[in-house]
Amino acid sequence: MSLNERLEVAFEGCSIAPPDILIQVAEHGRTREDRDAATRTLAASASLRARRGLVRQMIRQNLASVSSLMPTSTDEQNTVYDVAGGGSQQLPGARKRRQSDPPSDDVAVNQAWEGADETYRFYSDVLGRNSVDDRGMELVSSVHFGSDFDNAFWNGSQMVYGDGSGRIFVEGGLTAAIDVIAHELTHGVTQYTAGLEYSSQPGALNESFSDVFGSIVKQRTLGQTVDQADWLIGGGILGTAFTKNKTALRSMKAPGTANDFDRQPSNMSEYVDLPDDDDPRHDHGGVHINSGIPNHAFYRVAMALGGNSWDRAGKIWFHALTKVLQIDSDFHAAAEATVDAAAELFLDSGEESDAVQQAWKEVGVL
Amino acid sequence: MKVSVVRGGGVSGLVTVTTVDSQTLSADDAKALSRMVEEADAFGEPGVTATHDAGPDEFQVSVTLEDATRRRTVTAAEHDLPDRLRSLVDWVSAVPGRTEEVGPPGSP
Repeated sequence: MSLNERLEVAFEGCSIAPPDILIQVAEHGRTREDRDAATRTLAASASLRARRGLVRQMIRQNLASVSSLMPTSTDEQNTVYDVAGGGSQQLPGARKRRQSDPPSDDVAVNQAWEGADETYRFYSDVLGRNSVDDRGMELVSSVHFGSDFDNAFWNGSQMVYGDGSGRIFVEGGLTAAIDVIAHELTHGVTQYTAGLEYSSQPGALNESFSDVFGSIVKQRTLGQTVDQADWLIGGGILGTAFTKNKTALRSMKAPGTANDFDRQPSNMSEYVDLPDDDDPRHDHGGVHINSGIPNHAFYRVAMALGGNSWDRAGKIWFHALTKVLQIDSDFHAAAEATVDAAAELFLDSGEESDAVQQAWKEVGVL
Repeated sequence: MKVSVVRGGGVSGLVTVTTVDSQTLSADDAKALSRMVEEADAFGEPGVTATHDAGPDEFQVSVTLEDATRRRTVTAAEHDLPDRLRSLVDWVSAVPGRTEEVGPPGSP
């Protein structure tokens, strides 16, 4: 039985199966009539998006549990490919550097390798997690994606980096930023743990966990305490589209101040309520904008506790992400989960849970 | 003929709108644009490709084509953009004479 057949069996008796099949027909149907008919039927379903999200999540979790049954190689933790200007169909590209290989003559290859290595070691040494799936999954990165491509992303199974056009990102900027690399890998960790749906508040939490661990990995790599850290995400890599302020993509310390177009709120009273539809302008319900609120909550906890962000604040957030939060968790659930995690992890002290509670109050969530 | 490409999401979350208009392109580029749109049968694409959503930080892309009598918008996750439109999008994103606007989510 193929994996798809097994998934279909898994969906039997579950009302979310039919839309998924329709999506398949709409996507891959043999004739335009078939595809259009399926598309119209899908469009008629008012709750399509919610259900589609669930289907996607179930498929991912099924794949995750299937992969957990398979032995994974620990020999190749980290491999970087060059997709040489190709797109999604060409991934991963030509293999350029494996775990044990010496540095390549390509700067982007080495930066992607080193960033993945730092991130792997952070998760392993500090949090006891063996790669994104906690089963030693090989970290695969592809560099030189697309042409003048201003983005880096996690595609569900690997990291992908464009070179930057100079307009949004400076050329070479995306692989130069260790926090961007750790941000992308953390999307993988989230996929295999809480599975936060990429939509509205759960989606903004998904983004925020990536910023939180992106920043922590950068701080640990630089050996910085919370007072020394700049709390920026993607600092110094923005291009000519920004004229007055190109400090960074985001600031966890002062959301909304990082660049010309930064509209991140730091408090629930300023939550930006965008629809979660297919419009690219709406960013899945503002996942990169409202992440400012939980980002700032983490910053406040880390500052209140002092020292290294990964010693206490990071462990509390990691516990909530991997043990408590679920697909549809919202900001309030994250607040409660982190307060509880602080109390559970630091039994003899009220300091941590008090700091967490206070921070979520200050950002208007509790 | 006017073609607009809207990209949103991505690790920056910013919205980029790239627009080309036959009237402001060179004569050769204007001809190339209308040939590409016809060859891609771009007006015949279904409006929403109804695929799975974009992954974390992946671009969501929306392409709008307009001429005197027709208007069509096609939306897809970056990896699901129909092949016939992909080369049109790449061309629009690089041709001299395009305009580009950047803004926060929710705009412009």
